[in-house]
Amino acid sequence: MPAVSTGPPRARGSGTSRGRSRRRLALRQRRHQSSAQARLKGTTWLFAPAFLVTGVVVLLPIGYTFWLSVSDRQPDGSNAGFLGAANITRMFDDPLFWQSLRVTMFLFILCLIVETILGVALGYLLSVDVRGRRAFQAAMLIPAITAQVAVGLLWLLIYDPSLGVANRLLGSLGIDPVVWLGDPDIAPWSIALVDIWQWTPFMALIIAAGIRSLPSDPFEAAGIDGASGWRKAWHIGLPLLAPVLTVAMLLRTVDLIRFFDTIYVMTQGGPVNSTNALNVYGYRSAFVNQDASYAATLQLALFVLVLLVAAAFTWARRRFSVEY
Amino acid sequence: MSTDVVSARRRRTLFIYVGYLVALMLFFGPVLFMLWSAFRTHLDITSTPLDVTSALSADNFVRVFDRFDFGRYIVNSVIIAGGSTALGLLFGAPAAYVIVLRQWSGLAFVMLLARMAPGVMFVLPFFIFSVAVGAPSNTALNYTVLVLAHVVITLPLCIWLLVPFFESVPASLDEAAMIDGATIGARFIKVALPLVAPGLAVAVTLSFVFSWNYFLFALALSNNDTIPLPAIAFTFIGEGQSDYGGLMAASTLISLPALVLATTAQRWLVRGLTAGAVK
Repeated sequence: MPAVSTGPPRARGSGTSRGRSRRRLALRQRRHQSSAQARLKGTTWLFAPAFLVTGVVVLLPIGYTFWLSVSDRQPDGSNAGFLGAANITRMFDDPLFWQSLRVTMFLFILCLIVETILGVALGYLLSVDVRGRRAFQAAMLIPAITAQVAVGLLWLLIYDPSLGVANRLLGSLGIDPVVWLGDPDIAPWSIALVDIWQWTPFMALIIAAGIRSLPSDPFEAAGIDGASGWRKAWHIGLPLLAPVLTVAMLLRTVDLIRFFDTIYVMTQGGPVNSTNALNVYGYRSAFVNQDASYAATLQLALFVLVLLVAAAFTWARRRFSVEY
Repeated sequence: MSTDVVSARRRRTLFIYVGYLVALMLFFGPVLFMLWSAFRTHLDITSTPLDVTSALSADNFVRVFDRFDFGRYIVNSVIIAGGSTALGLLFGAPAAYVIVLRQWSGLAFVMLLARMAPGVMFVLPFFIFSVAVGAPSNTALNYTVLVLAHVVITLPLCIWLLVPFFESVPASLDEAAMIDGATIGARFIKVALPLVAPGLAVAVTLSFVFSWNYFLFALALSNNDTIPLPAIAFTFIGEGQSDYGGLMAASTLISLPALVLATTAQRWLVRGLTAGAVK
């Protein structure tokens, strides 16, 4: 005799406890599914505005850029029609394009490496609980969220060849003044230094958050086995941190390949195109040379480059991520 | 043994503080130099850049407001950053809610595209469009175009930031509200939204600052009446060489929202900047 009987009495046979529980499970699943379905009812209207706006301000411009790149827009606004791949062949034959690609890759690789190494060191500092950590963190936040224009103006003053702080500091060490932004061999390094200054703390913040969320067991175990602090950091900390590191590097990569603001404020691509990164070249083609179609082609090339590098990163992350 | 541990910990703390000092000099020093220079004369900045005894005054700020229409530029920045933040949140919050409810990754992907696409890719079509509708000569239209262009930044950012917050709202609450007969709108506004209030604050502040800071759209799309701070500061560079004090005052004014944010909403900011990077 069951303790509680619910529902109408059932025919004998189908009422085995196993059959009943299976049927109940199916019923519960169906009910769950239908409730999940019901929860979604009417959501289209909540979502439609964002969809529409995204279409208009994101997808439409991307599509239009694509159209521009395969057509021949004139400076007066008329369009001479479909060109096919002519802009693309023009791009591959354009020494300035290759030059700008070199600048982009130079800035990307140099900044990413330095920012990652310094970011790990600074990230360690930010991860340790000592008095004043929050205040320190606030100070480290500021470069990343300061407007690029302000950063550019500030560094123009620091780099000023005769009046700036940089050369005065070098002078007090007995080093000859450096033409930070006027020399094509030095300008890319000067620009990279600004980016490293602005974004290393940002890398460090992400890495610090990663370090703080690491499990403590492996470190304790290694400590019992007599491993030194450095060995623990190198052999346990770094591999465990790899996923966070790759995400931080990916975020920087996407921005570094699109490097624009600092360059445009400080050198506009000069001197002699030595800081003319792909994004700057694209902008100048559109708004200085009035060559919209070619600018669109350069922008698409840049977009493809960003997507390729991001995809490579994601692939590497999956390929080399170690499960612990 | 235990005194060894204590002294090792002391040594580590000392090491950390030495690191703090070096990092502050390298990374915070230049910002401090900017703020300090904003209150010094051009002559002092350029002849004795690191002389802490030189006189301070607010003359640079008075001058930029006097000689240039700085109040106007600030209002323009507020209109553009405020408008695009409002739109980003208005469209982004319901979208984030639905993305979580439907476990939808399609839109998240489009948002990622918007995050990765170079800004010039948007500014060129926007520019051609704005010329076609006559926006360069029409103030209201020009503001509209600028606000819409900045939505390219704020909308993905709002969705990106809000999705984790909506994910942390228990599904049982939504189900309970539905069983009580609440409509989808009521469930969103009365059940989910109050629970993600901190997320909304994060989205508003970050969107505002990012939109405020954004330079490219303003550079290409604004006219003399609608030009916001970052773009006007760029046009100062030419005169800057003769007035670094004024230039630093302008930079300080542009940086103000970010500085306020870093000191007041630090915890949120770290979370927002690192959103998606660390669980």
